[in-house]
Amino acid sequence: MSSDGEEEFEFEFEDDDEGFDPEADSAGESISDAEAFDIMSPTLEEPPEKKPYDVNYRVRTMQEIMDMQTKEVKKVQSLLEVPADTAATLLRYYAWNSEKLQEQFWNDPTAALVSAGLSPPSSPSTSTQPLPSPLASPRPFECPICCMDYTKEQTATQTLALGCGHRFCRGCWTEYVVGKITTEGESGRIQCMESGCSRIVRAEPIDELVTSDVSKKYHNLLNQAFVSDAPSLRWCPHPGCEHIIECSQAPQKMLNQLVPTVTCRCGNDLCFGCGYPASHRPVICRIVKLWEKKCADDSETANWLQANTKECTKCQSTIEKNGGCNHMTCKKCKWEFCWVCMGPWSEHGTAWYQCNRFDEKSGSDNRDHQAKSRQSLERYLHYFNRWANHEHSAKLDADFYKSTQKKMEQMQSSANMSWIEVQFAKQAVDTVIAARITLKWSYCMAFYLKRNNMTELFEDNQRDLERAVETLGYSLEQNIGDVGAIAKLRQEVTNQSAYVQKRHDILMDDTLRGYLEHRWEFTV
Amino acid sequence: MFANNTRAQSSTAARRLMKEYRDLTADPLQDMITAGPISEDNMLEWEALVQGPEGTPYEGGIFAAKLRFPSDYPLNPFKMTFDPPLLHPNIYPNGDVCISILHAPGDDPMRYETASERWSPVQSVRSVLLSVLSLMHAPNSDSPADVECAKLYRDDKPEFERRVRAQVKSLLGI
Repeated sequence: MSSDGEEEFEFEFEDDDEGFDPEADSAGESISDAEAFDIMSPTLEEPPEKKPYDVNYRVRTMQEIMDMQTKEVKKVQSLLEVPADTAATLLRYYAWNSEKLQEQFWNDPTAALVSAGLSPPSSPSTSTQPLPSPLASPRPFECPICCMDYTKEQTATQTLALGCGHRFCRGCWTEYVVGKITTEGESGRIQCMESGCSRIVRAEPIDELVTSDVSKKYHNLLNQAFVSDAPSLRWCPHPGCEHIIECSQAPQKMLNQLVPTVTCRCGNDLCFGCGYPASHRPVICRIVKLWEKKCADDSETANWLQANTKECTKCQSTIEKNGGCNHMTCKKCKWEFCWVCMGPWSEHGTAWYQCNRFDEKSGSDNRDHQAKSRQSLERYLHYFNRWANHEHSAKLDADFYKSTQKKMEQMQSSANMSWIEVQFAKQAVDTVIAARITLKWSYCMAFYLKRNNMTELFEDNQRDLERAVETLGYSLEQNIGDVGAIAKLRQEVTNQSAYVQKRHDILMDDTLRGYLEHRWEFTV
Repeated sequence: MFANNTRAQSSTAARRLMKEYRDLTADPLQDMITAGPISEDNMLEWEALVQGPEGTPYEGGIFAAKLRFPSDYPLNPFKMTFDPPLLHPNIYPNGDVCISILHAPGDDPMRYETASERWSPVQSVRSVLLSVLSLMHAPNSDSPADVECAKLYRDDKPEFERRVRAQVKSLLGI
């Protein structure tokens, strides 16, 4: 069987020499290098180099994010000469865009403060003051919400008014704030309960009003709002991971040219551009979104219906014809019509069992339409099945690692090889898995690519990688034989995985460079 | 945590509604509106009678509406349903009143209503009923509940008014 693999290899090798890509030659070289393989320097462990389509990024912890906020608040605090919590509220209102905040603030400080839900510095309360001000001496008070009465003394301790002077009892405040935080997920924009009052409830009274776990949730929400407001930050989407990725090289407008795949400290990949919880290279975020939607919604069911069914012209019930003649009688509304021309059967006169209007325009239009629909369904299924196949393989990754692990142990014991000598197998599995993810997305890409020469080159690259991966996958599933066979297998796997790596790099490199060079045209 | 609070909440709601009922009885809004609980045992179900304002096609009519309060009232707004339904651009064909003041603050993901137009715990039955009266004077056909009716109101006001008057008459049994 291994000779089959060799043949495949030769074919691939020649294919490269036909040469559409300058890097194809080096692929050839790497094979011959690998044949003169030296035990002590595995070729797979190349340091990752920075490509023009890669982005710089940093993985941040929650603490660092909080420090970033504090730093920003301090900066604004000293620039605008306002208290820290005022600076924080202002920054939240302006979505942490401190340039815009400064511009607006210097333009009209009062307006900036009022629109952010704060009173201007000179007058501690807003102009409308329907209720006793917080500074006025306490007197008996009835909470306008729950209608509880409070004595003079209780008013001081059990009721609360913000700078705007709207006084309510603490119980109502707590229920209101807890509801806002826990059920509505609000944080920085919780307003005074008085209707029409846009005074913001700041962190200090909230912490005082609610229990510590709600307060914790409140501060988490504030931090989340900070991360989602900042275009250069994104949460790691993987379950249980609390890291944040910081990347300033992939703004929204660059996402047509870049696929900013990053690796979080938790070891998982994600796309910084759209938050997809894995690499979706080489496809750009926009196309991934379209593909996901296409696969998820029932648009394809509709496609099938269109290809295989017709509708009763009277009651619009969907009908699948599974035999019989063209004289249809709708089960639902009893309407009689001709399946071929869709016209009423009564017009067919005496021409029973044969539609004499077959060639009329409406009939032929209908047939064209159905053929087209069937074709587009087949096209979609072609790409979807290949995509889904790789998706399915990825789900079996864990098993693949396990069985390889077993073989590695077997090799160590039967061929007396050292731990480091059998690592080639694990590296090969890593290579296969990474290549499969790329292949998977390459089918999504191909589905949306316009048919042209560029697309053909892309599909050639795709085919080469697909074949290389299959060959390597096959070799990895071989049973472990005697010492000689192991040496041969090892040589083979090492060669093949170097080749897969190369093909993978070529596909990725060419495709991602293609975006920068505006080579790809999509039909959407 | 809300499960534990339900008792406290419903007693808050009952106390607050009792007070609102007292206030409405003492000052019945120029006799345009009367409202109160259907039964003293259940403060969360009210009935209101609204008089059609003068100078509108609703003049002369008396319209009955059900008010249903949630147990966490006044944190969340009540629902108001005209029974029988009333022909109006901002009233759904089933009688539900669509008015921004009765929308919970979280209800408007598009943020096209400002927070001050929506429900807040300091709003009351009185303030909502007053808004309903002003809505009878000036329907808001920009965000309609009954699209057909709103179209009619905008394109053919005389016909709209004719239909409303006919409905008022049939409600009164004339």
